[in-house]
Amino acid sequence: MFDLAIVLKSVPMLLGAAVWTVVYSLSSVAIGFCIGTLVCAAGLSGSRIGRGFAAFYVSFFRGVPLLVQLLLSYYCLPLFGINVPSSVAAVGTLALCTGAYLAEILRGGFLGIPRGQIEAARMLGLSRPQILTRIEVPLAVRLTLPSLVNETTMMVKSSSLISVVGVLELTRLAQNIATSTFQPLEIYLTAGAIYFAINGVISAAGTLAERRFRAEGAG
Amino acid sequence: MATPLMIDVRGVHKSFGAAQVLKGVDLAIARSEVTCIIGPSGSGKSTLLRCMAFLETYDAGEIYIEGELLGYALEGGRRRPVSEAEVTRVRRNVGFVFQQFNLWPHMSALDNVAAPLRLARGIAHEDAAERARRMLDKVGLATRAHAYPAQLSGGQQQRVAIARALAMEPHIMLFDEPTSALDPELVGEVLNVMRELASEGMTMAVVTHEMGFAAQVADRVVFIDGGVIAVNGSPDYVFRQDDSPRLKQFLQNYFERNVFWQGG
Amino acid sequence: MRFDITVLTSQWPELLHGMGLTVLIWFAAVALGLVIGLAVAVVLLLGNRWLAAPLVAYVAVMRGTPFLIQLFVLYYGGPYFGLDLSPLTAGILGLAFYGGAYFSEIFRSGFLSVPPGQIEAARMMGISRLAIVRHIQLPQMLVIILPTLANMVVLLSKETAVLSVITVNELTSVVSSIGSTTFAFAETLLFLALVYWGFLEIITAAARRLERRVGRFTLRTSS
Repeated sequence: MFDLAIVLKSVPMLLGAAVWTVVYSLSSVAIGFCIGTLVCAAGLSGSRIGRGFAAFYVSFFRGVPLLVQLLLSYYCLPLFGINVPSSVAAVGTLALCTGAYLAEILRGGFLGIPRGQIEAARMLGLSRPQILTRIEVPLAVRLTLPSLVNETTMMVKSSSLISVVGVLELTRLAQNIATSTFQPLEIYLTAGAIYFAINGVISAAGTLAERRFRAEGAG
Repeated sequence: MATPLMIDVRGVHKSFGAAQVLKGVDLAIARSEVTCIIGPSGSGKSTLLRCMAFLETYDAGEIYIEGELLGYALEGGRRRPVSEAEVTRVRRNVGFVFQQFNLWPHMSALDNVAAPLRLARGIAHEDAAERARRMLDKVGLATRAHAYPAQLSGGQQQRVAIARALAMEPHIMLFDEPTSALDPELVGEVLNVMRELASEGMTMAVVTHEMGFAAQVADRVVFIDGGVIAVNGSPDYVFRQDDSPRLKQFLQNYFERNVFWQGG
Repeated sequence: MRFDITVLTSQWPELLHGMGLTVLIWFAAVALGLVIGLAVAVVLLLGNRWLAAPLVAYVAVMRGTPFLIQLFVLYYGGPYFGLDLSPLTAGILGLAFYGGAYFSEIFRSGFLSVPPGQIEAARMMGISRLAIVRHIQLPQMLVIILPTLANMVVLLSKETAVLSVITVNELTSVVSSIGSTTFAFAETLLFLALVYWGFLEIITAAARRLERRVGRFTLRTSS
């Protein structure tokens, strides 16, 4: 029998843990975006070392399962004398991983910017850094917005894996409650519904932002 | 009726959303008759032809193919849509040639003609290929049987499309602007195939901008304007005698556009 | 910090077994997932109203929730439906249903990529809907969707690592248990990362080669 009472009882606790899921995943996307921009810039730069590094970075972080990356950082950072809370290590790992995906997405965005728009900026006398920060990054973000939103929802889902290295968030708490109440079905379905709702909100926000951009005539 | 009409269109209406495209069209086509449908763009002529093949549903009225109601069944004065299988059965003797050819790019010319014979009629592989070869020969493409659509010119592709339709041994052929997507120098080869078909007694309805073809080949020319049949008569009547201002304007525009190369 | 590679070399039969199981899980889940994805896409394409809503919901849920949670629901929640699955079976089924949702989206976009005029022409010839899917749409779209499809197949190989959480004895599970019994975390986990990385590089390169080959084929026949 499906036990509705246990669902209702656990929802407030699970929602509390879901806040951490949102905090961890959004902060890793934010940090990952900075990493991704740098890696993407390196990849599109004239320097062979830069391009080599970017290729290596993207290949490694996309080629190794996130779970393995998390285990690596959890067990191996202390061996190098780096003792940080497991949540910090986990968010750092998520950020490094999503950074590789974001770099690829942004690369597509930069390459999609019509050459004429950059030439126009150059003709108007804007400096190279100005062109990058004022013209190219905003345009690339607009061009790639759907992919960026999609990557954010992927991160919300992926963040469930940090439960494995002991970080308390939605999945970890769901596991704790499921083992103590012996009602895993109800608890995990509830947790799943919360993840689904979080991603629903993110997707809706993305659609809204896209529509705004398009209304501004820049989509 | 002594011989049933091949196609009988009665009071057909059709809207796309708020736009009324057909506003009560009546058209009867007898055996071996060649009917050319002309009219300005947006007049509804292609929509009418597509309704006659039930590639579009129609909102009111009836279309009969060799005496059978197409797309609907009448029950106590009300009509209801019939199954796809029933639609397929009623129109199995109707061939359709599209403006954009719509050949299947992953099949050779021969397979384009043979595949429907196998898939829809269950004809054995060898027999289907044999019939396909005959049909390609008929449209003058026996030597290109193994070419893929991308390797053929537009005119050749359209002739393959005609062969594909003919292989199903239709009683009626519908042509939807068959030469409009072609370069001018390729139009003739397609019209010649159609002319030959007409001379063999095929019943044909042709939506076209080729007034020369309509004047020479058609038994009847229908001028559609604003979703209704405005003029309907012999080519001689439509092109020379009728004096409705809209038709005169339409033909005037046509000849002004084409006099340059027709005169040259 | 010192590196002791013997903790791994001494356990090579277990490692080999773990690798074998990882590849087996991957193959099985991809095969089953492709079947599920194609079936879902075809049913949605042919427009059965009663099946459409639950299938659309299935795809949305699989794509909107973490794979780990799906796995927990199936493995720990399964017994409540009389589904008492072994970890391996639950893992393969879970991965197949997860991948199937993504595959169905890819197939769907593929079906829509075939110009509607070609389908009209086929319907005019009296070819049945299923035969149109099989003979007109599938052969053309496979070429178009191959890169996306290959990408997803590669991606699923990484997801197999998650099965270690429900105690499936695949590569990640084998290596991390060696790590925790010997405390040689650096050696074992670096080895694990390198194995996955190498494997991913190889199958990605294989996918690219396949795409190029099929790409040449399309250039010859169409476009």
